[in-house]
Amino acid sequence: MSKGRCDATPGREGIGDVGTSDAALVRRVRAGDTAAYADLVARYRDRLGRYALHMLGNREDAEEALQDAFVRAYRSLARCDDPERFGAWLYGILVNRCRTTGARAARRARRFVSDPTALETTPLPGPAEQTEWDDIVRWALARLAPEAREAFLLKHVEELEYEDIAQLTGAGISALKMRVKRAREQLQAILREAEHV
Amino acid sequence: MFDDDAVERVVRYLRRSVRIDPALDHRVMEEIAALPAGPAVPAGGVWRWLTGRRLTLTPLGALGLAAAFVVAVVGVWRVRAAPDAVEPALRGFQFVLVEPHAANVSLVGDFNDWDATRTPMHRTPGDGLWSAVVPLEPGRYRYAFLIDGRLWVADPTAPTTRDDDFGAPSSVLTVGGL
Amino acid sequence: MMRASGYVVLLSLCLVAPFSRAAAQGDPRLERLDEATRPVVVALIDTARAVGLPVNPLVERALEGAIKGAPGATIATAVRRLAADLGRARDALGSGASPVELDAGAAALRAGAGPDVLTRLRRARGHRPVTMALAVLTDLVARGVPIDTATTAVLTLAATARDEDLVDFRRAVERDIAIGAPPAAAASIRVNAAAREARPGRP
Repeated sequence: MSKGRCDATPGREGIGDVGTSDAALVRRVRAGDTAAYADLVARYRDRLGRYALHMLGNREDAEEALQDAFVRAYRSLARCDDPERFGAWLYGILVNRCRTTGARAARRARRFVSDPTALETTPLPGPAEQTEWDDIVRWALARLAPEAREAFLLKHVEELEYEDIAQLTGAGISALKMRVKRAREQLQAILREAEHV
Repeated sequence: MFDDDAVERVVRYLRRSVRIDPALDHRVMEEIAALPAGPAVPAGGVWRWLTGRRLTLTPLGALGLAAAFVVAVVGVWRVRAAPDAVEPALRGFQFVLVEPHAANVSLVGDFNDWDATRTPMHRTPGDGLWSAVVPLEPGRYRYAFLIDGRLWVADPTAPTTRDDDFGAPSSVLTVGGL
Repeated sequence: MMRASGYVVLLSLCLVAPFSRAAAQGDPRLERLDEATRPVVVALIDTARAVGLPVNPLVERALEGAIKGAPGATIATAVRRLAADLGRARDALGSGASPVELDAGAAALRAGAGPDVLTRLRRARGHRPVTMALAVLTDLVARGVPIDTATTAVLTLAATARDEDLVDFRRAVERDIAIGAPPAAAASIRVNAAAREARPGRP
């Protein structure tokens, strides 16, 4: 059973480890001090931006998702049961928002690929063109299924516990473990493939 | 180039900090400032929106705006542990309302026989926060806030009653145990 | 389908109550009602008491109407309807149901749950109170979850979940809705996740 509080706190990264100052800012915003929200945005911008960027694969979509998550969080601030865990609660909103953006991007891609003319004239990107490590990593991540990429990033990059990931995503812990395992295997295979190109 | 530790190398690479354009902060705050008033907007947003403008409100409009001020039932603590399993424990529930323009606010409901004089809410000095604490036994309680003795608002953060027989909806709080 | 005793309650409230004057007359709280409304409400409450229904929710409903300035006829209708719902809830939940359970049951019926849902929830909860399960069902509907979806969700959880789990479930759904999820999808996704975690043999 998932817990209904905003306490899915990452362990080492300290998303939830922000002491009472988050709570104080949240209370100020709730009491009408809108400017205090700018402090929360600045505090979490880069930290959450990393997840959005890796999850969505491009800066434009990531910033759009991030901006939307911040605005949605503001509109729902009264629903953050535990203001001291504002960061973790915000994280949940961003994860949701990235799913929406990712699905839309995937639909765009499908429309593009399903165009027969485009298929004939546009070479699909492959590792041969990805000479830099940054490009290789991005390319490898993009080849993972969205659920696998999400689970892998939350577990290994954002260093959340499985219980916390389950709370953020609504998925069961065993399913998440399976997704992470498959993501690792797929990444290994993809990277080996890149090595031989 | 790639070995069995390739995935770990990817992980280390991905963990590097990322810098997002600080202009995003400005875009967020601009979008927030442009939000229309409504129940989805937290009370603070409505307050800021109101203070910059002179408004003429219909009674219905006033009701809607006031509803947006209501914030949350924020806390629960145990007032008295049951001495045994027979007597149900009382739990204290704190009700909180943000209504900076009110002269007085009452919490009214099944727990005080709908008597507006029994549970006045107290204002925190310096802001528009009103709060009251009510010890409750397990049960189901309907309640609403009465602002300045004339304006009824339900708590938008709590479920609203379906059987709105009297034209001014109430909220519901269920305390488990029986 | 309303059982016989439910009809008795309704019939009593419609026919007997208007001519009855008894114990509720002495409840000082009802003095807040105007002189025309008070005897009607007192009669309704006394009749409900006579058939063994909890009367405090009826008194409170009348007081709510009075302080909100509702017309007397509206107050009487609301009290009569609540008494009928309490009777239907008792039919569905059994004569051993507590007053709080009946109150929650009446609200669930008003939200659109059928009496059979109350009966199935009672069976699923066993000896544990059914109040919170009914309250969560009603609250979900109030948040926009379709009654069928809410019913399925609560029935799925009712057998194994504790009251705290049910509240956590409701909060999770509310949070998902607040951040833009369609209510039906939020309830379905959360209940599926909860059911998966509760399934034996899974970590």
